[in-house]
Amino acid sequence: MRRLLAALMGVFSLASALPAAAAPVDTGHLEAELVPQQSAVPGGTIYVALRQKIDKGWHTYWRNPGDSGEATKIQWTLPPGWTAGDFVWPLPHRQPIGPLMNYGYSNEVLLPTPIHVPATAKVGETATLKADVVFLVCADICVPEEATLTLALPVAEQPTPDPKWGDRIASVLADAPKPAGLAATFAASGEAVKLAVTGDPLKGADVGDAYFFPFDGTVIDHAKAQPIERGPDGLTLTLPAGFAFTQGPAPTELAGVLSLGDRAWEISAKAGPPAAGASGLGAPPKTVSAAGEKGGLGLPFALLFAFLGGLILNLMPCVFPVLSMKAAALAGHAHDARNARAQGLAYLVGVLATFLALAGLLIALKAGGAAVGWGFQLQSPIAVAALALVMLLVALNLSGVFEVGTSIQGAGGGLASQRGLAGSFLTGVLAVVVAAPCTAPFMASAMGYALTQNAAVSLLIFGALGLGLAAPFVALSFAPGLLRLMPRPGPWMDTLRHVLAFPMYGAVAWLVWVLSQQTGPVGMAYALAAGVLAAFAVWLWGHAQRRPPAPITRGLAAAVFVGAIVLVGLLAAEKPATAASAGGKAGETAEVPYEPWSPERVAALRAEGRPVFVNFTAAWCVTCQVNERTSLGRKIIADALKRNNAVYLKADWTNRDPAIAAALAEHGRAGVPLYLVYGADGSDPVILPQLLTDGMVAEALDRAAARKPGA
Amino acid sequence: MTLTRRAALALPLLAAAPAALAASGPGPAPAFTAKDADGRTRSLAEFKGKVVVLEWVNEGCPYVKKHYRGNMQATQKAALAQGAVWLSVCSSAPGQQGAVNGAQAKAWIKAHNAAPTAFLLDPSGTVGRAYNAKTTPHMYVIDKTGRLVYQGGIDDKPTSKVEDIAGAKNYVLAALADLKAGRPVQTAFSKPYGCSVKYA
Repeated sequence: MRRLLAALMGVFSLASALPAAAAPVDTGHLEAELVPQQSAVPGGTIYVALRQKIDKGWHTYWRNPGDSGEATKIQWTLPPGWTAGDFVWPLPHRQPIGPLMNYGYSNEVLLPTPIHVPATAKVGETATLKADVVFLVCADICVPEEATLTLALPVAEQPTPDPKWGDRIASVLADAPKPAGLAATFAASGEAVKLAVTGDPLKGADVGDAYFFPFDGTVIDHAKAQPIERGPDGLTLTLPAGFAFTQGPAPTELAGVLSLGDRAWEISAKAGPPAAGASGLGAPPKTVSAAGEKGGLGLPFALLFAFLGGLILNLMPCVFPVLSMKAAALAGHAHDARNARAQGLAYLVGVLATFLALAGLLIALKAGGAAVGWGFQLQSPIAVAALALVMLLVALNLSGVFEVGTSIQGAGGGLASQRGLAGSFLTGVLAVVVAAPCTAPFMASAMGYALTQNAAVSLLIFGALGLGLAAPFVALSFAPGLLRLMPRPGPWMDTLRHVLAFPMYGAVAWLVWVLSQQTGPVGMAYALAAGVLAAFAVWLWGHAQRRPPAPITRGLAAAVFVGAIVLVGLLAAEKPATAASAGGKAGETAEVPYEPWSPERVAALRAEGRPVFVNFTAAWCVTCQVNERTSLGRKIIADALKRNNAVYLKADWTNRDPAIAAALAEHGRAGVPLYLVYGADGSDPVILPQLLTDGMVAEALDRAAARKPGA
Repeated sequence: MTLTRRAALALPLLAAAPAALAASGPGPAPAFTAKDADGRTRSLAEFKGKVVVLEWVNEGCPYVKKHYRGNMQATQKAALAQGAVWLSVCSSAPGQQGAVNGAQAKAWIKAHNAAPTAFLLDPSGTVGRAYNAKTTPHMYVIDKTGRLVYQGGIDDKPTSKVEDIAGAKNYVLAALADLKAGRPVQTAFSKPYGCSVKYA
């Protein structure tokens, strides 16, 4: 009974909604109809939309159609007293056609019009709205089509939303570009108009997709790019001037829609100087669409590449020392399957947490306008020194100088296995921190892609990297069959531990060398002294562990260790070594002559029509160093450079450098290495793989020289 | 950058073409050579000392059809009567709308009673790109000294409706009248309207 009543009420409420009646008209290449947002209310304003359901491959046009085309037009015939306003235009799409650019809509579009209902309209009546519409619908070819549309609209006491179109029109109205109080000015000079826009919606926004759609079809050259520069409070677009600017008196106002991809606002710019916060942070990192044109990645591939990159990272020299820690730990747990699984998972969590934390920090820094990239943590000498100290402590621990917590013999109790979990977690943390300098193949493009996406997508990709890095050990810890192959625990474990200490010492030596590149000999002296103090401190600590407790010894150990940390802190006062001195030093040892990189130098050399090879590198980037030693220093490269009249430029990113970060971002990269070969013809550079061979570089140079201007 | 690159591309293709692009204002009109409907090679240089009207055309375009209901022919006749040269240019790539060979072009001229001095075939789009021709129709007027004095739409009513021709201001006729009277062309630019040129 109750159900029947509910059903009846449902029918009744449907009937009372009095849906408006209209018939769609097929005009040939689209279907047009008038659809209302709600019933008419006497004295009120409602919205009625012209709906175009456009055939696949065809499109209609925005209010400014761009280089060709014609905007949709509507002519209303309304009952006496009723009036109609202008279309509310949704954000159009850009439609490039050969060398031309049009603005318009495809698939389906709703163009709402405000309709004012007179107070004299009678409730209960049905008003007939009539409209003659004319639109140009184009694919490769254009067809002007027209239709006379009618809509029977009920007049009601309350504005009842149309059940079918009410929500749709409401969301079109909500999304349509509107003024948002953005401050905008423009300044024209020659072929360019600088449009500077600032305001709250732009602060910290991703402006990589920024584009200005002018209302007037004569103010810009629609088909040309609009280079973007970011600022702390907004952005500056360099618009290619249209003939309204190049001829006669320049316009005093520039009105249109500023779009950031999915969000858009109406702006009206006045001639005048740009606001201070509208520029200064360089071009935004390349966007997906730009990357897509260059064969960039989509999300699924980025995730796959990130995972593969993480896997390969295990084979790179940076991660070896950490893997040795992991191997030592695994040896101890191999015959306790449950514990081994727990250790594997703790390691995974450590890796993931650190990747996400580093990525989060990186994203936050970038959002704040800092020009940073992957490996940024190693651009700080303090971080490098601290990492060297941590590695030294781990190495000394593996050497048996001191024990963490209870002695290793006591392992197996609940508490000790808890500690073991923390240890595994920390191993994961360490693995990621030291892995950064080794950008593995696959990783670079995935990270470059990640950093141009929104935060959620970026974190997802960094998570996939972490999964890849952790995967081998996690898989191993879940493979009891493999683990059982390991010998039973015994004294051999201590020997293994002692042996595995040496990759860690190697890592320390490498980090101190990096530090010497960053801060020079004085900084290295601080770090070495800190290392000696730290070693002494943990020896004291280990001494106390083996003898009856002597509080004084432990106190002394703590004091000495604090001394080590203070020394690291003093590094902050050390000035970074200048690029010139660092470069000069490296230049003496290398066989192949090079010059320091700068965008101006690249531009000048390209203007001369010379092929250019650019090596984006850093002292802390192991892959870069390997390439420099194994391939870039070879005579075959020197010969290839000479033969092709080419120039070798080195961009050293050991210390922070916004210009280099910007250049990396321009090629969809977040870190080094990056190898570019510019042809003699001014074409876009060729990107070489991250693992070089000397033959590959020489061949690329030969090919670059062959690309002559006009060829 | 783009500009210089485009100019660099255009140079070898257009013998001795000035690097100036149409969009950058009244300046020397870019030189060109192209085959006409009879297969003869024509060049802008041969009309030196005469006023030249360039008309981009695509027989299938509704906007071209709108004006070939009499308006374009009347404009042509007025221009020719003043001693001007009228060159219709088709930059449609082969296979695209409006692409015609010489015979088809001549048949179309005859069927529409049109009277261009020559109908130029520009299937590679070289001439179109040199002039930055965007739409069909897109009109250009070159004065006797070889300067581009008008470019844009044929009139100020950017629609595809024949009815709108009555009451529209014909910018080409206005520019020709200005040239004839020896005064500067009043409207040197307007936004061209119509179908996109069907470039390769």
